[in-house]
Amino acid sequence: MKGPIYLNEKTGVVVIGATGREASQVIRESEALYPGIIKAGVTPGKGGSTELPVPIFDTLAQAVQDPKVGKSINTALIYVPPVSVLDAVMECLDGGIKVLYVITEHVPIRDSEIIFQEKVRRNAVIVGGTSLGCFVPSVGRIGAIGGKDPSIAFKAGGLVIISKSGGLTVTTAEMFKRRGWGTYCALAIGGDIISNTTYADVLKELKDDPNVKGVVMLGEPGGSYEEQAAELIQAGGFNKPVAAFISGRFQERMPEGVAFGHAGAIVERGMGKASDKIARLEAAGKKHPVKVAFYYHELLSAIESLGVPRDFEDSTTDFVKPLYSTIG
Amino acid sequence: MKLYEHEALESIYKKYKIPAPRFVFATEPNEKVREFIDKEPAVVIKSMVLVGKRGKAGAVKVVSDKSQALDVFKDLASREVYGEKAIGALVEEKLDIKKEFYLSVTYSTKDRAPAIIFSEHGGMDVEEISPELIHTHVIRDVRSVYPYQIRNFLVGINFSDPDLLRPLSELIVSVFHAFWQTEARLLEINPLVVAQVGDKKKLVAADAVVLLDDDASVSPAVRFGARGGMGRPLTQREQDAILIDQGDHRGKAGSYVELDGDVALMTFGGGGSTVTAETAIEAGLRIANLTDIGGNPPAEKMYKIARIILSKPGLKAVLVCGGTASNTRIDVTLGEGLAKALDDMKAEGKLDPNLVWVVRRSGPEYVKGLRMLHECFVRNGIRGDIYDSQLPITEAPLRLRELMVKHIGYKPEVVA
Repeated sequence: MKGPIYLNEKTGVVVIGATGREASQVIRESEALYPGIIKAGVTPGKGGSTELPVPIFDTLAQAVQDPKVGKSINTALIYVPPVSVLDAVMECLDGGIKVLYVITEHVPIRDSEIIFQEKVRRNAVIVGGTSLGCFVPSVGRIGAIGGKDPSIAFKAGGLVIISKSGGLTVTTAEMFKRRGWGTYCALAIGGDIISNTTYADVLKELKDDPNVKGVVMLGEPGGSYEEQAAELIQAGGFNKPVAAFISGRFQERMPEGVAFGHAGAIVERGMGKASDKIARLEAAGKKHPVKVAFYYHELLSAIESLGVPRDFEDSTTDFVKPLYSTIG
Repeated sequence: MKLYEHEALESIYKKYKIPAPRFVFATEPNEKVREFIDKEPAVVIKSMVLVGKRGKAGAVKVVSDKSQALDVFKDLASREVYGEKAIGALVEEKLDIKKEFYLSVTYSTKDRAPAIIFSEHGGMDVEEISPELIHTHVIRDVRSVYPYQIRNFLVGINFSDPDLLRPLSELIVSVFHAFWQTEARLLEINPLVVAQVGDKKKLVAADAVVLLDDDASVSPAVRFGARGGMGRPLTQREQDAILIDQGDHRGKAGSYVELDGDVALMTFGGGGSTVTAETAIEAGLRIANLTDIGGNPPAEKMYKIARIILSKPGLKAVLVCGGTASNTRIDVTLGEGLAKALDDMKAEGKLDPNLVWVVRRSGPEYVKGLRMLHECFVRNGIRGDIYDSQLPITEAPLRLRELMVKHIGYKPEVVA
């Protein structure tokens, strides 16, 4: 099978909240670029609408029972407002969907927790909330990731990019593409407190996938998901090269703010800060192929020094000249 | 969002029947405060601030001599605690404390579940309690939480007072329900007190730290009023920036946080803005602001935020930096909005010709947009370099540092 569980040649997507502004743009763009991945859309009250290039249903049940497209649907892409996310997730899980993406930002934490517990009970895969989606160049994409012209950032190769920030997922893919490394799978996992798919979940899922040549991990302060990845690697649960960058060190030098707060500081003593995450990953790097980049762009030299082979030619040089200069 | 202690007592402890001391909150020593003090043999008075560790700052006082109580109240109701001005004071009955426990409920990302954290050694900073004295009970199924489960947990950690097993387990479940139903991120009671009342021992929550989820289904800002995050009032520029996005949902340009430095940032996108600001700081640049522009704002919005950012006195350089936008039009934002701001400021004599600029940007219509901005630089005598996304995003602040050192003799901070 071509592509990982998150997006592969068998993936058939139903978009929940399909006729909203962002979702309908994503459906149009994605179907123009990679036709056939999105099978249907659901918006209550808009069933039968023909404004989009896929059929629209009032309910998920109608979509999965539809004689034409029903059988091909196995993945949901959720674009509903924050307070409706829990309902949409339950509709999909009860409808038998096993892979879900929650693109919506600002999902109430309590709802995220209920979603996570249901996901565990039903053995489903949920990416997000606050995911930007997934890109697998050999197959296509789910969500807005890569925008109108994903070819700027994405070309098939051997890197797995896992990032809490959606924007940085694409920026990172482009940075590597310019220097000769392509992407096998880029996954924007979102930065929510209760994350349904963590770095460690992805590493476990892809540890035996022969397409993976190296992993680029982009982390942020808060929670302990980066630390969990470090522990997994430390315990021998993932053996391929991992280059990591953790943003947010500078926050530690600023006056104590509300953002870090108190929450988590007790159960997760010694975890959560950028420096904690860097320390854990560097500790894993003593025995395993893990490198932490000091500057974000040093991810490039980290991947190179870990011996991850280029997928194609380096198209820029080490030193980039300005496009325009008005200073000597 | 963090609640003041009296807000938690009034709106959460009462509703969920979490036993608290008798209390009165006031902003000034009014009749209610006098009556309360008259009735109690002794009182505890606390400054109402959001910052923690009040006790250490002398903002919590036990008053047994009633003749002093009003003076103490006046002092604590109006003083500054770690730079934060108190909004009033809370007066509580003084308890006859026999023991102090620590209790909190919060989310554990390790378990991706709510966790109850309990210690028999409360009262001090939780960071100071030795880890083996702190016990955690994870709620794996939020649909069924019962006191018997908590009793099993307490017996499992050799809880020392069998008489308290039932009341404590019931109280902990009430606290969990309060946490869950109010959509909190943290509900902390430190200390949870065992008080002597007559010949009985009674559990009393002698403190309340409540952090509500800002994304809760009912926004805490609606329930309790909005409160700023910086611990200081907004500056004029920050207030002006907020107005940019009001009544106009096209894109977002109004996020602006003013800092002390001399390098202005015009950064785009959440992740890109953070990583650029961070690299600038790591590189020893003293940044003048944080911002996060995105979602394809119209030229007018970009014009306004550019003028606000550039109006800060004492700037030496400007970094315009973002990744490869998927939506935001580069010709509209940089070629029109920013360029017009520079043209107008130049015409008004408000553009400092000594500023050093570095621009790094890509996205829809970037070839056109960067060319337009370059033309603007030329006609206004602006000095700087313009890059597209061939330059890795975080190299842009380093290039700016080089130019500043070379052309204006800037001395970067030495960062440890």
